[in-house]
Amino acid sequence: MPQFFSNKRLILLLVGMIFLVALISFSLRDRDHASLPEQLIKDVVGFGQAVFSKPTHYVTGAFDNVESILNTYDENQRLKARLVDYASLQADVNDLAIENKELRTILDKKEDLREFDPIHATVIARNPDQWEEKIIIDKGEIHGVKKNMAVMISEGLVGKVILTTPYTSTIELLSTQNPNYRVSAVIADQQEVFGLIEGYDEKRKELVLKRIDSDFEVKKGQKVTSSGLGGIFPKGILIGEVTEVTTDDYGLTKLAYVKPAADFFILDHVIIAKRSISAIDGTDGDNTGKDLTETVEEGP
Amino acid sequence: MTRFLVIIISVLLFYMEPIFGLFSPIQLDGEFYYLVPRFLIMYLLFLAIYYDRKRAMWYGLFFGLLYDVFFIDIIGLYSFIYPLMCLMASFIAKYVHQHLIVTTILTLLFVAVVELLLFLFYTFIGIKSMTYADFIEVRLIPTMIANSVFILMFGWAFKYILLNRFNQKALKLQK
Repeated sequence: MPQFFSNKRLILLLVGMIFLVALISFSLRDRDHASLPEQLIKDVVGFGQAVFSKPTHYVTGAFDNVESILNTYDENQRLKARLVDYASLQADVNDLAIENKELRTILDKKEDLREFDPIHATVIARNPDQWEEKIIIDKGEIHGVKKNMAVMISEGLVGKVILTTPYTSTIELLSTQNPNYRVSAVIADQQEVFGLIEGYDEKRKELVLKRIDSDFEVKKGQKVTSSGLGGIFPKGILIGEVTEVTTDDYGLTKLAYVKPAADFFILDHVIIAKRSISAIDGTDGDNTGKDLTETVEEGP
Repeated sequence: MTRFLVIIISVLLFYMEPIFGLFSPIQLDGEFYYLVPRFLIMYLLFLAIYYDRKRAMWYGLFFGLLYDVFFIDIIGLYSFIYPLMCLMASFIAKYVHQHLIVTTILTLLFVAVVELLLFLFYTFIGIKSMTYADFIEVRLIPTMIANSVFILMFGWAFKYILLNRFNQKALKLQK
C-alpha cells in the first residue's frame, strides 16, 4: 500500500483543516449579513437558478392543473354548499368595510397597521440539503425587500426574510428550529389575546404560540393572525388555527399549538408584505427597538 | 465537444439539485421523508474515478463554494467535503475493479458518508437536533433510494462520457 499521507499531503490537509475551521467559525458568527463577494455570488447563481426553475414551475403547474380538474366535481359540491354562507358573509364584510372607512374619515386617521404593499416573488430554490428551512426568491433589495419582512402565500404566513442581496433574498420558513425566530401574534375572537409564535413542534408539525396571558380563555379552533405589534409585519395575516391549549413549563402563561394555515412544503409563488406604516425593529426582528422608517419608506 | 460536456453536465446538475429539492419532503402516512438530491457529488465521484482526480477536486471546491455561499451561508462546509470525497474515492478506486456496478455502489456509499458528516456537523453546531434513528429513517434511507434511482439511470452515461474524454486526452498526449 503506497503511503496515503506523504509529508506534503499531510501538511496540505492540516492547513486545509485549520483554514476550514477558521472559515466556518467566521461565517457562522455573521450569518445574517452577506459581504460584497457573497452578494455577488448569490446574485449570479440566483440568476442562473431563476433561468432553470421558472420552466419547472410551468411543468409542475400543468400537473397541478390536471390534478385539480380531476377533483373538480367533489370540490364543486363542497363549494356549492358553502356558497350561501359566503354571500351573507360578503355582505357583512362590505358593510363593515364601509363603516370602518367612514369612521376613519371622521377620526381623520389615515394609517393602518393592516395595510401593506405586496411584492410578488417566485421561489427559485429550496435549500437542497434541507437541514434548514430556507427558500430563495428572485426579488431583492432593488425591489424593496428588506430583512425581517413577512412572507406569505394566499393561505397564510409562511416565513420571514432573513437575508437580502440586490436581486435575491433568503427566507426562513416558520417551520424552523431557530430559537431566535419570533412572530408577534394575536387570537382575535370576542377579545384580542396576544402571544408570540416561538418555535415549531417537529413531531406534531405545528407552531407553538407562547406567552398567552392565563386570564384569557383560548379555545380550540380559534384563528391566529399576526398582530402587527412586532414592528415589521402588517396586522391580520392568517397564521393558523389553535389545536390544543396547555400551560407552559412554569405554569404562568398559556401555550397553544397552532396548525399552520399555509403548506410550507410546496411553495412556488410567495408575496412579501411591505407594510405601509413605519416599521420598528421589535419582536418580529432582532428586538432592538430601532426605528427602521427611513430605510423602509422608499419609493413613491 | 466532450470537453465542454464535462463542465456543462456539472453546471446542469448543480442547478437541478435545488429544483428537485422543491419536491421534497414527501408525506407518507403523516410522516415526512426528506429526499436530498446529491446529483453533483455523485457525478464528481464518477469524474474522480473515471477521468481525473485533480480536476474533480477543483470542480468540487468550486461548486462546493457556490453551494456554501448560495444556500447555507456557512463557507467551508461543502467546499471541504466535496474535494475530500473525490480524493478518497479516487484513492479507493485504485484498489477495486472499475466496473460500473462497483463504482455505483462506491458512489452511493460516499453519498451516505456525506449525509452522515453533515448530520454530525449540524447537530454539533446545534441547528438541528435529531436522533440517529430518526436521521436514518427520515433522511438517510429516502435520500439513498432517490439518489440510487438517479445514478442507476444516468451512471452509464456519465461513465461513457468521462471515459470518452479520458481516451481523447490520452490520444492527444500520445501524439
